[in-house]
Amino acid sequence: MVTAGSQPDISTSLGALRLDAPTLMASGCYGSGEEYAPFVDLARIGGVVLKSVTRLPRLGNDAPRLVPVASGLLNAIGLQNPGIDAYLAHDVAKFADRPCAVVGSVAGFSVDDFAYVTERLAARDEIDAIELNISCPNVAHEGETFACDPTLAGAATRAARAVTRKPLIVKLSPNVTDIADIARVVEAAGADALAVVNTVRGMSIDIERAAPRLGNVTGGLSGAAIRPIAVLAVWEVARAVRIPILGQGGIETARDALEFILAGASAVSIGTGNFTDPRAPIAVADGIRAYLAARKLSSLAQIVGTANPGFVRGR
Amino acid sequence: MVVPPSGERVATALGVYESEGDRLSLMLVVVGPRTRELALLQAGAGLTLLGPLGNGFDLTALGDDVALVAGGVGVAPMLLPARDLRARGARVKLYYGARNAAALVDVDLFAALGVELALATDDGSRGHHGYVTDLLERNGRGHDAIAACGPSPMLRTVGNVARSLGVRAQLSLEETFACGVGACWGCVVPLDRASTQAPAFPAAADGEVRAYVHARICKEGPVFWAHELRW
Repeated sequence: MVTAGSQPDISTSLGALRLDAPTLMASGCYGSGEEYAPFVDLARIGGVVLKSVTRLPRLGNDAPRLVPVASGLLNAIGLQNPGIDAYLAHDVAKFADRPCAVVGSVAGFSVDDFAYVTERLAARDEIDAIELNISCPNVAHEGETFACDPTLAGAATRAARAVTRKPLIVKLSPNVTDIADIARVVEAAGADALAVVNTVRGMSIDIERAAPRLGNVTGGLSGAAIRPIAVLAVWEVARAVRIPILGQGGIETARDALEFILAGASAVSIGTGNFTDPRAPIAVADGIRAYLAARKLSSLAQIVGTANPGFVRGR
Repeated sequence: MVVPPSGERVATALGVYESEGDRLSLMLVVVGPRTRELALLQAGAGLTLLGPLGNGFDLTALGDDVALVAGGVGVAPMLLPARDLRARGARVKLYYGARNAAALVDVDLFAALGVELALATDDGSRGHHGYVTDLLERNGRGHDAIAACGPSPMLRTVGNVARSLGVRAQLSLEETFACGVGACWGCVVPLDRASTQAPAFPAAADGEVRAYVHARICKEGPVFWAHELRW
């Protein structure tokens, strides 16, 4: 029960990663961390997941990289980033004074890539946890393959696990036949938490030019259009594993976020929703607190997975 | 970036047309549901606005004889520069093209500033029957510099014409934007690595050395020097 005047506790955790609020800025939607700083009080969100970094610099895909579609956004950025050497030299130090959790994101094209970049990034004090992006749909050769093949997903996770003791969050793809199957393998390989889900593969064709609109031809769909797909993915993963889940996919409001939490997510990320309202992660956190208060509940933990009869307790 | 009251979840990027005191004017053309909603707003309605974002034309680098080149709603970011350039005594000529005479808006405002006009319409209902870039190609020699805004095909032509005339050109580019603040890397254009606007980037990319990098139109731009673009 809540005593008069006290606020419900919305802090949460993903393994050993403690979060003061259950909302994070999703990777790829927050850049290298500084772009939104003038607009958002980061002390009021749980954390930021940085843009993915790879072993070598990447120029990214040719333009156009964005196509707005009904209730969503198609993107094919192609992991543009300066590579781990330049990233460590120029970017990471800027995260030192962030008043929220900072999660580094690692992408790769081989098991060795994931191990190498994870080890170097996780060694930095500015990074509180690692997200393993094994599910980018927008890079040629083996971008998403890791998330779509249980053996490779397990191998990438084991390789990263072997080089860091910091919390390891593995980001899964919705573009699979059985996401629960992949989730079990990644849990067994040593992941501390799962990010569910990355974008859904899609494309759009310009009928005037009779050609695909994206420079990369195919892309990843995000935004409200994929929310029901993502809620189901969280629901299925929550029944399959005992490690905590970071839910994401089209979350714009607290009501959206609560669907993920009731399905079994311990925290949520907001991505495309930031683009129209960079303060959405704050509003979502406030709305979750209000939901708990209206039901006279004292903590977020009391509602995680409560709509999901197959949710495994004790995480 | 402007978000209409319905909360349609993709913002629309608009140029500032006029600004005086605490008043701000935005110009838009209705092309879809978002711009339609904005156009139908009643006095007193609220809007969410994030900005100003990105750079603008560098007026100090345009010299004393300036060609402003506008296509359609690309005229929006031209009025304030025209005013400032005229105020410092520069000669200004506006090359302005649109679909038809009705779509050539506020020509009088420019004329009142003492801006010379060169008009073109696709249907010949006013001015030259054809592209505004035809006029620039024909009469553009002698300008110190060009500043242009409009559809991408027009801007590419302006860049080519500028090169043949031996005149430098600043182009204000258009793209689909998501974040508007440089976070998502969705609105990029290939830019010469040596450009002062090029984002810092190591020389080896994907194992190859390229002469260009991808610059963000929303952050490093939207205005770039035509001769530095590699599009």
